[in-house]
Amino acid sequence: MVRFQDVSLRYGAGPEILDRVSLDLAPGSFHFVIGASGAGKSSLLKMMYLANRPTSGRISLFGRDVSSLSRHDAALLRRRIGVVFQDFRLLDHLSTLDNVALPLKVSGQRSDEIRKDVVELLTWVGLADHLDAKPATLSGGQQQRVAIARAVVSRPSLLLADEPTGNVDNRIAERLLYLFEELNKRGTTIVVATHNEALISRFNYPVIRLVRGEVRLEHAETLIRTSDMPGRAAADYGTRDTSLPVEGNPESAG
Amino acid sequence: MLLRKSVVPLNSDATGRFLPWLVAVMVYLAALALVSAMAMSKIVTRWDHGLSGQITVQLPVSENDLTEAEITNRREDVLTLLRQSPGVLSANHIGREETAALLEPWLGQTSGLSELPLPDLIAVEIDQLDPPSTAGLTARLIEIVPGATIDDHQRWLGNLLNLARSIEIVAALVVLLVGLSAVIMVVFVTRMGLAVHYQIVELLHLIGAQDGYIAREFQTHSLKLGFFGGLVGVALAALTIFGITRLLGQADTALLPALSLRPFEWVILGALPFASALVAMVTARLTVLRTLSRIP
Repeated sequence: MVRFQDVSLRYGAGPEILDRVSLDLAPGSFHFVIGASGAGKSSLLKMMYLANRPTSGRISLFGRDVSSLSRHDAALLRRRIGVVFQDFRLLDHLSTLDNVALPLKVSGQRSDEIRKDVVELLTWVGLADHLDAKPATLSGGQQQRVAIARAVVSRPSLLLADEPTGNVDNRIAERLLYLFEELNKRGTTIVVATHNEALISRFNYPVIRLVRGEVRLEHAETLIRTSDMPGRAAADYGTRDTSLPVEGNPESAG
Repeated sequence: MLLRKSVVPLNSDATGRFLPWLVAVMVYLAALALVSAMAMSKIVTRWDHGLSGQITVQLPVSENDLTEAEITNRREDVLTLLRQSPGVLSANHIGREETAALLEPWLGQTSGLSELPLPDLIAVEIDQLDPPSTAGLTARLIEIVPGATIDDHQRWLGNLLNLARSIEIVAALVVLLVGLSAVIMVVFVTRMGLAVHYQIVELLHLIGAQDGYIAREFQTHSLKLGFFGGLVGVALAALTIFGITRLLGQADTALLPALSLRPFEWVILGALPFASALVAMVTARLTVLRTLSRIP
């Protein structure tokens, strides 16, 4: 699904952000990417969603070498990747409905075909009552759900989330990860970049740790667990609450 | 209905608001330059057609105090010579009153004209397909009337044609410069739009929009602005042309012909808003595609 072979990245004449990174993410897998601020988590994800090209090395997505892709094919490949951006990147002048519909519209689907899917998805994330609301009128948590809905509306094979838990409290963050887990169970390959090690220690998934531009593969369960967030066994996931709060109070909104 | 609005909110940009008015000014100038060129071309064509088949023989005022009968005789001799010359279709004397009338636009209506020593003029219509030799004809005329001259209008017409060509070239340059200025303006406004809305453009790019999809957002906007500006410019130009036509009509002068446009010339003017819209659209599209090509 995602293969990096000796991939390095530097911006301009700056230092190496990533240094000969090699990794191979299987289809249907779930990975966390962790590391200190500035470790290169976002840069790694940006290369996965083709926003950045490596300085050296080779990246393959869905079995295709991205360096040999035409612009047309690269765009088609991006449609198979859903991205939840750290800052959501919602379009302020568009309604919730239109924001979520955007990837489908861009891929050329007709409006009347789009609406049913988008409404269903927004209902699933608890925003059925906010279809016509503009992002500015939504709470942070609600905006995040719109961003997630937009990322998954085209049923991507690969979902990348950059610090999705950064702007919400731990309770919402945990539910958010359960939501990603549900999507993973439906076959979507998930990569979540976060700095919240305490949170991900509760999940039984492999972790890509970035240290000074290099990667180390770990397992979430080996991470230090904090006393206020007791870990759960993977077998417990079936009974979890994956719903996100509908109303955006300050606590839940983060 | 989903996404009835533009994904890129270009309508709210301050940078785009002045574009239609600048396009209007550009199209206005281009329209006036085109009309000037078309009017000049028409005037030259008319004069060319009117004068190419004619020459004028001028018999000088006699310095030997010829009697009226002698003057008439030498004129009749000249007319006979001309009418017998190959390539001459007709030769007619221009009477004193007609000659005086030709001078009226310059000298005005004055009784003093009749006392002026005016030359005898003979209008000669020649076969344009087989014209007589002006030099040969002049030599034969001088044998009858020393000092007789032939004006075939070619020198005057040549100067006029040069003037007309110059005006046409200047008009073409004005249209070219105006077009170039419009292109530069659209490039500037499009780049500003791309800079202001870079986040949206990048988002569209990252969720899989083809470059053409993003370019369409900008080119459609530019198309509308270019067309609106073009309409305003042509409307103002039409008003100006109408005003000039009225003024020329009131001037009532033979030197300045009426400024009237033929149907196909109105079609050319009417096509200007479409041309400005097309230029704006293509320029915006190419600018966006060029900018997007730098995004990986």
